[in-house]
Amino acid sequence: MRRRLVPAWVGLVLLLLSASVLSIAVGPGGITGAGMSPVMSLRLLRLALGIFAGGVLAVVGASLQGLLQNPLADPFTMGVASGAALGASLTLVLGRTAGAFAPVGGFAGALVTMLVVYALARVRGRVTVTGLVLAGVIMSFLFSSLVMLAMILGRRTLGEAVYMMMGHLGAVFTGTTAWLFAAVAGLSVAGCAWLFSMSRSLDIMSSGEEAAETLGVDTQRVTKTVFVISSVLVGVVVSFTGAISFIGLVVPHLVRMMFGPEHRRVLPGSFVAGAGILLLSDVLARNVVPGGLPLSIVTALVGVPFFIYLLRSRL
Amino acid sequence: MKTNDGGDTMCGNGDCTALSSTQALRGTVPISANGPIVSQAGSPGTAIELSNLSFGYGERPLFDGFSLDVASGDFLGIIGPNGAGKSTLLRLVAGLLRPLHGVVRIGERDLQALARRDVAREVGVVLQENPFAFDYSVWDVVMMGRNPYLGRFQSPGKHDRQAVKAALEFVDAAFLSDRRINSISAGERQRVVLARALAQEPKILMLDEATSHLDIAHQQLIARILSVLNRQGRTVVLLSHDLNLAALYCSRILLLDRGRAVACDVPERVITADLIRAVYGVEPIVTGHPESGRPQVMLPGAGHHTPVSKP
Repeated sequence: MRRRLVPAWVGLVLLLLSASVLSIAVGPGGITGAGMSPVMSLRLLRLALGIFAGGVLAVVGASLQGLLQNPLADPFTMGVASGAALGASLTLVLGRTAGAFAPVGGFAGALVTMLVVYALARVRGRVTVTGLVLAGVIMSFLFSSLVMLAMILGRRTLGEAVYMMMGHLGAVFTGTTAWLFAAVAGLSVAGCAWLFSMSRSLDIMSSGEEAAETLGVDTQRVTKTVFVISSVLVGVVVSFTGAISFIGLVVPHLVRMMFGPEHRRVLPGSFVAGAGILLLSDVLARNVVPGGLPLSIVTALVGVPFFIYLLRSRL
Repeated sequence: MKTNDGGDTMCGNGDCTALSSTQALRGTVPISANGPIVSQAGSPGTAIELSNLSFGYGERPLFDGFSLDVASGDFLGIIGPNGAGKSTLLRLVAGLLRPLHGVVRIGERDLQALARRDVAREVGVVLQENPFAFDYSVWDVVMMGRNPYLGRFQSPGKHDRQAVKAALEFVDAAFLSDRRINSISAGERQRVVLARALAQEPKILMLDEATSHLDIAHQQLIARILSVLNRQGRTVVLLSHDLNLAALYCSRILLLDRGRAVACDVPERVITADLIRAVYGVEPIVTGHPESGRPQVMLPGAGHHTPVSKP
């Protein structure tokens, strides 16, 4: 069963291109005007943020699914995104200067959650499907409440709390945060490339940790590395966009259907597909209702049925 | 030792049966109470050396000062009741578990000093359960066996593809190359996993209950493949609950009981009514195999104890 790789790649690239065009063209306000209109520059920033967030979340989801041999692993279902949201919220409410460290707070929150969920869900060297989901749900529940608490104590608006927990691409860039974003996006590309360089180890780990070790994979080192890189990536994404659900869960599965399970194809494919699908979700989220919706409302409508399907087929 | 001399295949012809009992009886080394138990003297060099090993789960020590030598070129069967420590022993030798005390040497090198990749070049392991979370092709699964030879950014080369092809042919599974690992039968999958271990080109091959889920035809096929590999010079360690299969094919048997080596010798001296009764707590009937004379274990009929109602 040789899959046709070239048409699959062409399809993904077309998806991303058309999503990008839609993302720029559709919406209230004209984009035409002399030079760079303000609306146009906002849309371009939104586009960059969408590609960055969607691509990174999907790559992290694919890596975690491979690492944990678990089809339900994903930054959102594992509660890692909520942990990052809490970390970012805490830095935000601490004040204006501290706000620039939101990506760091996001990273810390993500890493702590990752380790806690992993410890809770791991039974005899294997992360069980149900254990991961249960631990993730519990942690998300806790962190969502704490985000709300932090926002209330920090006298932030309820809207800010909702966007932090459910995601949006409407981050307001000032001069400093724009530079921060550029730096963080560069860092994230490096992180994704690092995950990509571990493709073969991730492939081998899908046959179990013990088997992988007998094949010469240092599973502890791979696990630590993937956890830390994933935490950095999720932390910085969430600090800009809030927690966006299900992109990291659904996209890798769609890409596997097209490319097969090999991570050297799934990871880059997931980046492109994740970026495209997140942009489309954002187009829907900001155009179906005046004023716009949090992103996770759209992604959850697609993601939850898919999640149920995966859960039923794997238990 | 390469796998690509696959012309010497198993199955179907008479020369594949295990060594005759007279051959196996030569060079016996009795168990000594204190010194290391030596399995098979004769071929030069020691493949696996465990000295003064201690290991336990939680409070209870399972192994306490355990020593064992496996000579290179040996075909060692490890038998014993559930909880005897067979799988733990395999995991200690494969470096999956770390001993509390003592030293494991593989080909006279200290296991602790070896990187995982180096161990994987020396020791191939077939585990009992081989679940795959994602549906790789059989070819890709066997190619995973080349991992210890490939750098992080290195793609498999010609030699790697040859090794994979030879390994698949060796276990009579070349026709499965393009199939998906989760769509083939249990017997086929076990052969594929064995091929993956062969693609590692290991000097030592260890199997943990590798035949326990398989029908007798597949059990025989795997056992014969192992015999051929052994005669080509590989050291084979087979963990099994199947005493008869172990007695037929292994040149030596280690009988484990709660972390102690009760006996380690040729099958005729280990699979005896007395030892089986003492270790397993059953009343066995031990006979000789009609062809080879190897010991074979039977249990008394149910009718001796309880009346069997006819349907």
